Amino acid sequence: MRKKSNLQFAKALYEVTKDLSKSHLPETIKQFVLILQKNNKLKKADYIIEEFINYSKKQGGIKMVEITTARKLDNSILNKLKKIFGEKSEITEVINKNLLGGIKIKVDDLVYDASLKLQLKNLREKIIS
Amino acid sequence: MSTNNIVEELKKNIAYFQKEVEREEVGKVIEVGDGIARISGLTKCQAGEMLEFPGDVFGLALNLEEETVGSVLLGDFEHIKEGDMVKRTNKILSVPVGEQLIGRVVNSLGVAIDGGKDIKTTAFYPIEKIAPGVMTREPVAVPMQTGIKAIDAMIPIGRGQRELIIGDRQTGKTAVAIDTIINQKGKDMICVYVAIGQKESKIARIVAKLKEAGAMDYTIVVVAGASSPAALSYIAPYAGVAMAEYFMDKGKDVLCVYDDLSKQAWAYREISLLLRRPPGREAYPGDVFYLHSRLLERACRRNKESGGGSITALPIIETQASDVTAYIPTNVISITDGQIFLETDLFYRGIRPALNVGISVSRVGGAAQIKPMKKVAGKLKLAMAQFREMEAFAQFASDLDPETKKQIERGQRITELLKQPQYQPVAVENQVVGIFAVNNGYFDNVAVKNISEAEKKLTDFMNKSKRSLLDKIAAGEWDEKIETELKESCNEFLKV
Repeated sequence: MRKKSNLQFAKALYEVTKDLSKSHLPETIKQFVLILQKNNKLKKADYIIEEFINYSKKQGGIKMVEITTARKLDNSILNKLKKIFGEKSEITEVINKNLLGGIKIKVDDLVYDASLKLQLKNLREKIIS
Repeated sequence: MSTNNIVEELKKNIAYFQKEVEREEVGKVIEVGDGIARISGLTKCQAGEMLEFPGDVFGLALNLEEETVGSVLLGDFEHIKEGDMVKRTNKILSVPVGEQLIGRVVNSLGVAIDGGKDIKTTAFYPIEKIAPGVMTREPVAVPMQTGIKAIDAMIPIGRGQRELIIGDRQTGKTAVAIDTIINQKGKDMICVYVAIGQKESKIARIVAKLKEAGAMDYTIVVVAGASSPAALSYIAPYAGVAMAEYFMDKGKDVLCVYDDLSKQAWAYREISLLLRRPPGREAYPGDVFYLHSRLLERACRRNKESGGGSITALPIIETQASDVTAYIPTNVISITDGQIFLETDLFYRGIRPALNVGISVSRVGGAAQIKPMKKVAGKLKLAMAQFREMEAFAQFASDLDPETKKQIERGQRITELLKQPQYQPVAVENQVVGIFAVNNGYFDNVAVKNISEAEKKLTDFMNKSKRSLLDKIAAGEWDEKIETELKESCNEFLKV
């Protein structure tokens, strides 16, 4: 049989715990840890927790948004962006001077690139060809 | 164009430049090693799609699984680490194709590695393409002269055929292929030589030889050397045939040599095992037959309505200790339209090319032979078959009846005639004359060891004084008149 992946454990844990009352939780977690031990997965616990967090966020409809800009964004713009992605999304800001200008937004697995760097690169390719 | 114009043009270009927001799908590397990367995300990734890794390294998506994508890396992978971003390119892996590639040495991705300037082509062809269908094909009818007497006479190859060259190491497999490429000079053929897993020194020697013979003017060399990653060896033949298809689409005849497919199968086995595909016989994955059949099906001869053109494939397979019943040799033998068998024994007995006439066949090439060759060589194969039988028998018997003795002596002379040094292809009309002479007993009074010398003299004589007859033969004409003329010429030669 194929080895089970971290994600599979995380999913299983999510399915089991999602409708559980608080009183049952400690016992379930204990059982889960025992299963991990049986599968020699204890040392992967950190990764499973990470996957669990990602997965539960996804299931709850929370979007992971990463905004990359060259300089720090104005609060007004940031608030506007927050409105677009909804209250539930988790926004992290990254500052990367290499972008030169513009903005790059990553939502889950999609990247919207409107940075100056990319525009310049495209312009360069257009002029060369 | 004046400077001002250029400036204006540039200004216009810049003014009309549209700002675009690029939408990309990205994934994350979760595991990397041995030229393999596992990537999470990329939910919409296609099979065979190019993936862009950091540092301009590309990967090829091979395994699409529930949560991850397994891909091979086409290039340096030392700097790629866990957590790196991987972009989709929405492109199936393609290689540049075009006339600019002719005379160049490129790697599996079409990048020049001969130290020359960069190759800029406008067209790109996907490396994986479905082979032409039944309705677009035509039977093989035009010969592809190899310039090797033994092959052109007894195992003829037609344009659009797939003929396997098989044998142990050091039996002259590559030599047959290279001689064939050299012989295509002036025959309106484009040649693609794909070297897979070969020593770089050997490739350098081959390229030098092709240059010396003037064959690089119509040849593309695709190299995935022994030191390049397995992924490049795996895609090299597909890249080569994609380049060939461009010329076929232009209505040209192309010759594709894959040297050799057993190494490609090894590379594919390596990739498959690393991607954890279940191993089968000899640890090859289950689809190793399809690996070669889909490649060799792309060799074809297309009819006029579909644009014409042809791709002739000469795959090479290296056997271990003459074992043709191993997995890969049996597979490729069953896919191709015949095989040329080269044997170590014959090679060391000085019969070069070390062709085993008995078990070498060409299933479709006979239709492509020119008429004179068909007439004179029909007898040849029979004589050789009888000779082999008698020879084995005669080893035990001391005295033989004159008829048998004659047959054996004829056989020895034919064997001697079919010997041929490397890099010296013979034109088809000269082949016909030589075989005609030995078949009709004109060389019976020449000692066996002097046959090749006598043949050389005959060739010189014919080239000098009977050029018009040779031209007729080369054009495929053959009737009683030409036959008598040929007989007279031979008699004339014997007198000289």
